Amino acid sequence: MRKKNVIRRIAAVTLCAAMAAQTMIPALAEENVFEGIDTSDHEVITMLVLGNKPTNGRLEAMLEELNAVLTEKVNAELDLFYIEWTDWQTQYNVQLLSGDSRVDIITTATDWLYAWENTQKGAFLPLSEDMLKTYAPKTWAQVDADGDWDVCKYNDEIYFIPEDHYTQYTNHGMFYRGDWAKEAGLEDGTITKYEDLTDYFAWILENKPDCIPFDANKNTGNIITGYLTSKTDNVIISGVNVGNDEFWFGMSPDDPFTVTSPYMEGDALYDAADLMKEWNDMGVWREDVMNYDGDTREAMYAGTSGADQHHSQTYYSQVKPNMDVKQEGSDVKMYYWGMENNNVSKPLRTHGAAAINSYSEHPERALMVYDLLRNDETCYRLINYGIEGVDYIVTEDGKLDYPEGYDTSRDALDSNFWCGRNDDLELQNVSWWDGTADMIANYDSFAYDYPYEALIIDKNAIEAEMAAMANVLSEYLPQLRWGKFEDPHAAIDEMREKLMAAGYEDVKASIQADMDAYKESLETAE
Amino acid sequence: MKKNKTGAAAAAAPKKPFLKKLKDSRTLLLMCLPAILFFIVFNYCPLPGVYIAFTNYNFRDGIFGSPFVGFKNFEFLIRSGELWHLTRNTVLYNLAFIVIGNVLQIALAIMLNEIGSKLFKKVSQTLMFLPYFISVVLIGAIAFNILNYDTGALNSLIRATGGNPIKIYSQAGIWPFIILFCNLWQQTGYGSVVYFASICGIDSSMIEAAEVDGATSWQRIRYIILPSLKPTFIILLLFALGGIMKGNFGLFWNLIGNNSQLYSTTNIIETFVYRTMMSQNNFATSSAVGLYQSIFGFALVMFSNWLVKRIDPDYALF
Repeated sequence: MRKKNVIRRIAAVTLCAAMAAQTMIPALAEENVFEGIDTSDHEVITMLVLGNKPTNGRLEAMLEELNAVLTEKVNAELDLFYIEWTDWQTQYNVQLLSGDSRVDIITTATDWLYAWENTQKGAFLPLSEDMLKTYAPKTWAQVDADGDWDVCKYNDEIYFIPEDHYTQYTNHGMFYRGDWAKEAGLEDGTITKYEDLTDYFAWILENKPDCIPFDANKNTGNIITGYLTSKTDNVIISGVNVGNDEFWFGMSPDDPFTVTSPYMEGDALYDAADLMKEWNDMGVWREDVMNYDGDTREAMYAGTSGADQHHSQTYYSQVKPNMDVKQEGSDVKMYYWGMENNNVSKPLRTHGAAAINSYSEHPERALMVYDLLRNDETCYRLINYGIEGVDYIVTEDGKLDYPEGYDTSRDALDSNFWCGRNDDLELQNVSWWDGTADMIANYDSFAYDYPYEALIIDKNAIEAEMAAMANVLSEYLPQLRWGKFEDPHAAIDEMREKLMAAGYEDVKASIQADMDAYKESLETAE
Repeated sequence: MKKNKTGAAAAAAPKKPFLKKLKDSRTLLLMCLPAILFFIVFNYCPLPGVYIAFTNYNFRDGIFGSPFVGFKNFEFLIRSGELWHLTRNTVLYNLAFIVIGNVLQIALAIMLNEIGSKLFKKVSQTLMFLPYFISVVLIGAIAFNILNYDTGALNSLIRATGGNPIKIYSQAGIWPFIILFCNLWQQTGYGSVVYFASICGIDSSMIEAAEVDGATSWQRIRYIILPSLKPTFIILLLFALGGIMKGNFGLFWNLIGNNSQLYSTTNIIETFVYRTMMSQNNFATSSAVGLYQSIFGFALVMFSNWLVKRIDPDYALF
């Protein structure tokens, strides 16, 4: 026994020495960072992810291989627990609410996955610095070096680990066809302001009888928010949605700490509603868009929709490369909200984050597994890309490609690891649009930092009022968004009156108080 | 209602000891056991959870550890100004379903009874039965394909004949009729079976006697069949009244979805709770609405039972 250990040690030392000599990577990188931690019990770590569980068997094959590695390194294996897209908001919150101890690692986010609410409700385990340093040392070091732990703190305790080392822009906008925009007479075939879309849609109506200008469906995002972003300097405050709609804004990037809402104040909403009515009357979307559930993106790929709405990452990773193949020469472009007034904020560092379930029976091992998934190249590639040669291949110049005959819609791995991607280990995907880097560089050149990353709104104080407001919005907003009111101005006045009655001023004052406290905490931190 | 009468007779007789009664009817009790267990597990065990409606719920403290907030969650119902509106919609829809539904079911059962051809009887019964087994999701999809403005069958027909297409999905006034129609289409065939069975259970000697006395078909229906259906009708009515605060959620949701243009005439308590929960993830408030619905329903059952008891005690449920 002792002999074996000696041999092992010698082997390790030689290997380390060889590695250190060979590269400039510090020897630490290959050393077992978990040395001295008791991992004698084999544990199964379950991670909650969002997405539809794949049925093509590739996930299981990958997990088998990954679990062999994880067992060797930390004597644990990983299992994935899926929250599927059907009714995901409810499913997600119900799962956290149930206090189920089977789940250990939880994918969360402060802007779209209710991270603060769930923190306040006690779903997540507070993570002490010691714990993170011991069980997730590499993650700790990287997040600490970037100074990002502050955005994950509630009452001075860390509750989740940010996916802060992964570049993606998730600002929304409209995808449209450059070739048609050119024929429609737009300069360079480029849409530069919101109203240009009207000309583009009108041209399609006139010249492409088989194509619906914007074949939206009942789940399409709120394009009025896009209008408000483009026509005011207001900054969206994420994570305090009223119902499912972004409602609360900061005054401007220069004055972010004054709370407002263009839905209640100013005339931009009137203009937006007029434009939507104009579009609806023109026939930009189906008359029954509010009940229609067809797939807009597929329609655009098939040439029967002239536009689609989603965010930049969707554009450069899917829509652009797909359209170049499926509609050759379509020159699909993206008009992003806030293009004309540069009202674009940099991505949130907690658009993806990992939390540990407060009921988890082995949080330490869960952190160790997470640390490996996020920082160990073998584990990282397995969880994100799958098995090399089967699910992906690495090209000679070190990019990610797929083996011959691979079809994303059939063969996707769908492990949905969105809580710890890492630019250092990320492979550039050859199937993505090759202008991606330029697009991101362009955003980086003018986008402002999102001002509210560590802002926490006390929702308990305003729950009843917010619920009442959501009820009003759920009735008016969809009809405004799809231009269904005969007299949009009268409808807006009516809506504003009802929102007032629902307690708009109280909620605003409460959020403003939280904002003031946040501003103060930022100032004292400085 | 022979059973009730013997029950009343038994109550008048000297009381048997409880254990003896239990022993005597052990076979019957055993047969009831699955149903009793079902109700205990699914209806009685979760009852303490109603408390959630009075708390500011959070995960860590659980249902009974979360802070008590009294009626704060109910405030939302009143504040939204919808409570009256929702109650009205729910009750009116149910009244229409119950009244028109039962009348149609009885009419169908009688018609089936009068049909001589066995083959025709079976075929039509099966056909009427079928809609009950069609998923409401499909009904929603079928309705959309018939009624939508751009490509719907109905509007295509109107266009083809030179008329002006109708924007059905933005006219709230039409929808009560569409929903009523779909509900009747779905439920009538199934519901008529119960009445048909009671007609078959009528003592045939009565009908034969009436025939001998020269009663016409109408007279037989009016004086024999309809009165014989009365107990069944009342029992079904009582059951239905208890559920008057519930709706046919699946049907409403799949027909309307989140089309807020139609809320004014189609929003019922259940769709309201669902939409609120989907967009607010507010379990405490949802429970509050659910509790309101249950208490109102409970009061209604008690009231209607009391009413029936006053009119004719034999027909009362309890």
